[in-house]
Amino acid sequence: MFLRILDRLEEWLITFLIAAATIIIFIAVAHRYLVGIPLFYPLLFPINLAWAQELCIIMFVWMAKFGAAYGVRTGIHVGVDVLVNQLSPEKRKITVMFSLFCGALFTFVVGSMGAKFVWGLFHTDQVTPDMEMPSWIIYLCVPLGSYLMCFRFLQVARNFWRTGHLPHHDETQVEGLEVEAPGAGAAGITR
Amino acid sequence: MSAAIIFGLLIVLMLTGMPISISLGLTVLSFLFFMTTVPIESVALKLFTGIEKFEIMAIPFFILAGNFLTHGGVARRMIEFARTMIGHWAGGLGIAATMAAALFSAVSGSSPATVVAIGSIMLPAMLSVGYPKRFAAGVIVTGGALGNLIPPSIIMVIYAVSTSGAVYFGPAGERVSSASVGQLFMAGMVPGIILAVMLSTTTWYRAWKNNYPKVPKATWGEAWRAFMDSIWGISLIVVVLGGIYLGWFTPTEAAAMSAVYAFLIEMFIYKDLRFKDVPKVLLASANMSAMILYIVTNAVLFSFLMTSEQIPQAMSNWITDSGINWITFLLVVNVLLLLAGNVMEPSSIVLIMAPILYPIAVKLGIHPVHFGIIVVVNMEIGMCHPPVGLNLYVASGIAKMGITELSIAVLPWLITLLVFLGFVTYVPELSLWLPRTLGML
Repeated sequence: MFLRILDRLEEWLITFLIAAATIIIFIAVAHRYLVGIPLFYPLLFPINLAWAQELCIIMFVWMAKFGAAYGVRTGIHVGVDVLVNQLSPEKRKITVMFSLFCGALFTFVVGSMGAKFVWGLFHTDQVTPDMEMPSWIIYLCVPLGSYLMCFRFLQVARNFWRTGHLPHHDETQVEGLEVEAPGAGAAGITR
Repeated sequence: MSAAIIFGLLIVLMLTGMPISISLGLTVLSFLFFMTTVPIESVALKLFTGIEKFEIMAIPFFILAGNFLTHGGVARRMIEFARTMIGHWAGGLGIAATMAAALFSAVSGSSPATVVAIGSIMLPAMLSVGYPKRFAAGVIVTGGALGNLIPPSIIMVIYAVSTSGAVYFGPAGERVSSASVGQLFMAGMVPGIILAVMLSTTTWYRAWKNNYPKVPKATWGEAWRAFMDSIWGISLIVVVLGGIYLGWFTPTEAAAMSAVYAFLIEMFIYKDLRFKDVPKVLLASANMSAMILYIVTNAVLFSFLMTSEQIPQAMSNWITDSGINWITFLLVVNVLLLLAGNVMEPSSIVLIMAPILYPIAVKLGIHPVHFGIIVVVNMEIGMCHPPVGLNLYVASGIAKMGITELSIAVLPWLITLLVFLGFVTYVPELSLWLPRTLGML
């Protein structure tokens, strides 16, 4: 139950962030050109959109951190598995487990370093240049995203140990096209 | 010595099949922890600052635009347009497939997706007029390769990002400024068109020599209707390139514009996209972008380590001392990138290799923009050459052909690609002429 909520929350967060960032930049550019038209000038001039770029960057960094965790679940992080697939099933299982644990280790270390960094910032009054938001809130995505990613790696490892199944992202899947079994042979190198 | 350890560790970690981003990051962490006195905390900040540049944000926007377009019937409309224009020539359907692939991959930005989108429609069509299966499959595999070269191109954004920032010096000791996204986009146009013509010529020649059946000529009315139907998709290229060139928007803003534009035409003009599918497209794009941005973050860490160990400088000094000239160097670069293309996907290759090779190239007097185009062309060929080019696998799924048979089928076009690579590598003006004429260099 808790896991289901976490899954949905993660998906909604990154969907919202990419959509909002796109709309913000679109509005900022539209604003820049519309303000040059005399008719709109008095209406639009008081609106200041200088913060749009900064907000967009922050949204995308947050999207990248949480999206990376979501990506572990969907198996989109590709690696070089030409060699691994040549191994015998037992050896392959061990190697895959090793790589999954390395993933968990790395994200855990990064998350902890990020947490320490955020904790340090928390005690300063550093703010972002345009929006003047406290910096520690912005940087909070590093520990949160990395710990979530670590959790996802462990989840995938547990699933793989039990069922031998790895999440696999099919990059040949093209939405909206009726193709019978697109890229059936692509599984070999895309994982 | 430390270079050997770093690369050895990286290769070992990568061969276990772990994600490339993780192997990069883990290499950096373990090297810093065990081999140096650099405080690991210095890495923490890099984890955030690695991607907080506005230029990088063009990547998610272009991915989003591409996903909106792939979702709808843009591919079908482009094929229809290409068919009515040149369908009646010898091998016309094949040339139309290449043309449609060029148009579609330019706007979608993904080579495998192009192979699926164009291939699933064109392959049955080509077989039904009596082209041999090998011929048809060969056309499909290589057509998708045009996407990276014809802007907007995600690989070019990645190259620009991964080579910018540091200060490097040319052969005479002068400072060389790195290539911008706008310059690369313009530089890709001429080679992209030349490659499309070369691939089409190969198709035409083989069809003409073997006397493959022709299809009836479409009337001008049909052609006009098909053109008007597909113009909304095609004009995306114009919006992006024109907008950047005229200074209306920065590349990142252009990317955001094209995402909104793609959404609007799919939603309200073509009506191929239903509103309930929008969150799905957004999520898929966010997923793909996050993956690339995660590699970018870790690649930034990796190049931080490289710089702090002075490896690119040492390598470029070694290369210049050993008297290797730019001709030999570019040959080595091509071989190295083609080999890497066998095992890794393009964005990782560029992120790892470009920061290392770029300082050497600059030192040997190769123009940053020209070097970028060489890298991009190599990435494309990597997608379609045996044994493990991704386009081959995708096409083998559609054509139901084995990889070995398909590899033979692709050969004429692959040779064309390699000849083209030779041209691009040793004729810098091919890439530099257009941006220079437009005053962008």
